[in-house]
Amino acid sequence: MTTTTHDRPSGARTSRTGTARLAYSLVAGLAVLVLAMLASVMFGSRTTSFGDVLDALSGTADPYVTTVIESRYPRTALGLLAGVCLAVAGTLMQGVTRNPLADPGLLGINAGAAASVVAATAFLGASGTTDTMWWALPGALLAGLLVHAIGSAGASTSLVRLVLAGAVLSAVLMAFIQAVTLSRPKVFDSYRYWVVGALGGRDFDVFTAVLPFAAAGLLLALLLGPGLNTLALGDESATSLGANPALLRGGGLIAATLLSAAATAAVGPIAFVGLAVPHIVRALVGVDFRVQIVFSAVVGPALLLLADVVGRIVLRPQELMVGVVTAFIGAPALLLAVRRMRGNT
Amino acid sequence: MTTPTTARPPGGREPATRPTGRAAPRNGAPRGFLTVGSAVALPVRRISVVIALVTVALLLVAATATLTLGRLGVSLADLPAALTGGARGKDAFVLERLRGPRLVVGIGTGAAFGLSGALFQSVTRNPLGSPDVIGLGAGAGAGAAVVALLLPGTVPVWTGALAGAALAMALVYVSTGSGFRNPGRLVVAGIGVAAIATAIIQYVVYAVERDKAAVLTAYVNGSLAARSWDHATTIWLVLLVAAPLTALLARRLSIGEMGDEIAAGLGAEPRTTKTLAVLLSIVLSAGAVSVAGPISFVALTAPQIAKRLTRGSGPHLLLSALVGALLLVLADLCAQQLPLFENLPVGIYTMAIGGVYLGSLLLREWRKGVL
Repeated sequence: MTTTTHDRPSGARTSRTGTARLAYSLVAGLAVLVLAMLASVMFGSRTTSFGDVLDALSGTADPYVTTVIESRYPRTALGLLAGVCLAVAGTLMQGVTRNPLADPGLLGINAGAAASVVAATAFLGASGTTDTMWWALPGALLAGLLVHAIGSAGASTSLVRLVLAGAVLSAVLMAFIQAVTLSRPKVFDSYRYWVVGALGGRDFDVFTAVLPFAAAGLLLALLLGPGLNTLALGDESATSLGANPALLRGGGLIAATLLSAAATAAVGPIAFVGLAVPHIVRALVGVDFRVQIVFSAVVGPALLLLADVVGRIVLRPQELMVGVVTAFIGAPALLLAVRRMRGNT
Repeated sequence: MTTPTTARPPGGREPATRPTGRAAPRNGAPRGFLTVGSAVALPVRRISVVIALVTVALLLVAATATLTLGRLGVSLADLPAALTGGARGKDAFVLERLRGPRLVVGIGTGAAFGLSGALFQSVTRNPLGSPDVIGLGAGAGAGAAVVALLLPGTVPVWTGALAGAALAMALVYVSTGSGFRNPGRLVVAGIGVAAIATAIIQYVVYAVERDKAAVLTAYVNGSLAARSWDHATTIWLVLLVAAPLTALLARRLSIGEMGDEIAAGLGAEPRTTKTLAVLLSIVLSAGAVSVAGPISFVALTAPQIAKRLTRGSGPHLLLSALVGALLLVLADLCAQQLPLFENLPVGIYTMAIGGVYLGSLLLREWRKGVL
């Protein structure tokens, strides 16, 4: 029942034309990312022009316009960071579990982070992003391990089992979160602003607080890339190629947890970016995990920033939080994927 | 139709392959049909009757505890007199305004959810084919949230809940591409639809002010606090209409669980039966949601528990309803009396208990290699 995530054999990629194509794709991806960042500082309740942005960057713009544009820097930076984290975490998890439905949100890791942050805020008086970050980590890690343990009990790890285990764990954790937040109005108030998943209303402190964790996770991910390629061939083949499957899985899970805990602590639980980006990237560049991780880090933030811009435009002058937008884009994609599932998996 | 003939028509064909002692009555225990006229024939086994009676007894104990425990409780000695009309002062207020309606609504809602889940799981032949999994709860919550945000005060919140629930179920049905049959697809599609619904709920909870947000959060979790006799009338009317219809379907449903071909061969018209059963299930769930909000996991767990208690085949309609009522009254007892958190909506307790139960159930099924 184990489903491998690759849909075509690697090898074509190694040719010279393949490398050139990869380079072009990377340049195109980076261009889209830069455009998304530009759009993120241009659009909002007061829209500015491209010229305004250039003026603001060179310091010659009207002070009011400069303030407007500069107020959008933190959310753009956060979108960049969270996008990278979520997308790379999704790629890692789908690689490690060999399950195309693996996603930090679906597998209960976000709920674990949320539950432990809520508990720390309510009972231990934790506050501030650094505190939150440290509390998000153990919860996320524990939830990830638990889902993996439940999902892989018995003969084989099936695609739906992990998702089901994630849903069950999320339900129990949600009950706990609701119980705590509903009985403490102050915690409830900060929780409802955080859980919706928004880039706005946060400043650079948040960015700098989670940066070390994100960087550590990314570094680990890049180191694991070659190993994950052998893991995709199956445990026996990986062992015969000199890799240690258990170590790779553990490392991958830790890196994914670090990354999703960082994103969740910074901007709240945002679903579907981690699920969708790896699929887009695989369709673009094939199955090599080293390439996939790099491209995920480009496509993820582009997608998240564009979703944030869309959220700012549709309800103007109010805004729709990015977590809501990604759910509305990502869930239909998941529903389409369901139709293509084969058999009883 | 009414004669107590073969209780398991195809069982005699290949008795060796059946799990003996489980599906079949043990030690040749007497089994007959409870008949009403010529239309209704409910298969009855002595063990089922005993279990049903025990469940009713437990329900009575839980109900007594609900009325008597706590600072406001009517003392146990005064209870019989109070119930027969002799209540005054504080006791009358507690019985008539606070806990009386709450208890009656709780029993009715639990029974409706249990029955609804049993019907649905029987039709889909899928233990996860429950109104919770197919997005009913989340859809109802989202509908209620949208109504509360866009049309505050003009349209009652429960109409939004009903519309949302119907929309979510339709969406899941369409997006699986194979109806409610395939468990895997059902679960994933349900999660997808629930994600959209949750995003809507979270947005509304974010957008309104804090007190309204707390009320809304309680509603979308499902709550029995501050119910009135109107709520009780609504849910019991729904039960009164739906229960006899369900009893009419019971025999056809247990034939239907043997597979479409056999059912058709026995003249049970599987298509009509299924459509009717799903409609009844939706009516029951909708009634329950309209009075108490989308209380999670009762519809999913009650039929499973009933099935495990009797260890028999068939939809176990009556027992599922009783177990559902018992579960909900117990959960509400926790909600009212546990000192840890005060005044939490009962849906949070059912979510926690149901989640743990579902987890253990899945683990056991997976060990056996099912699913």
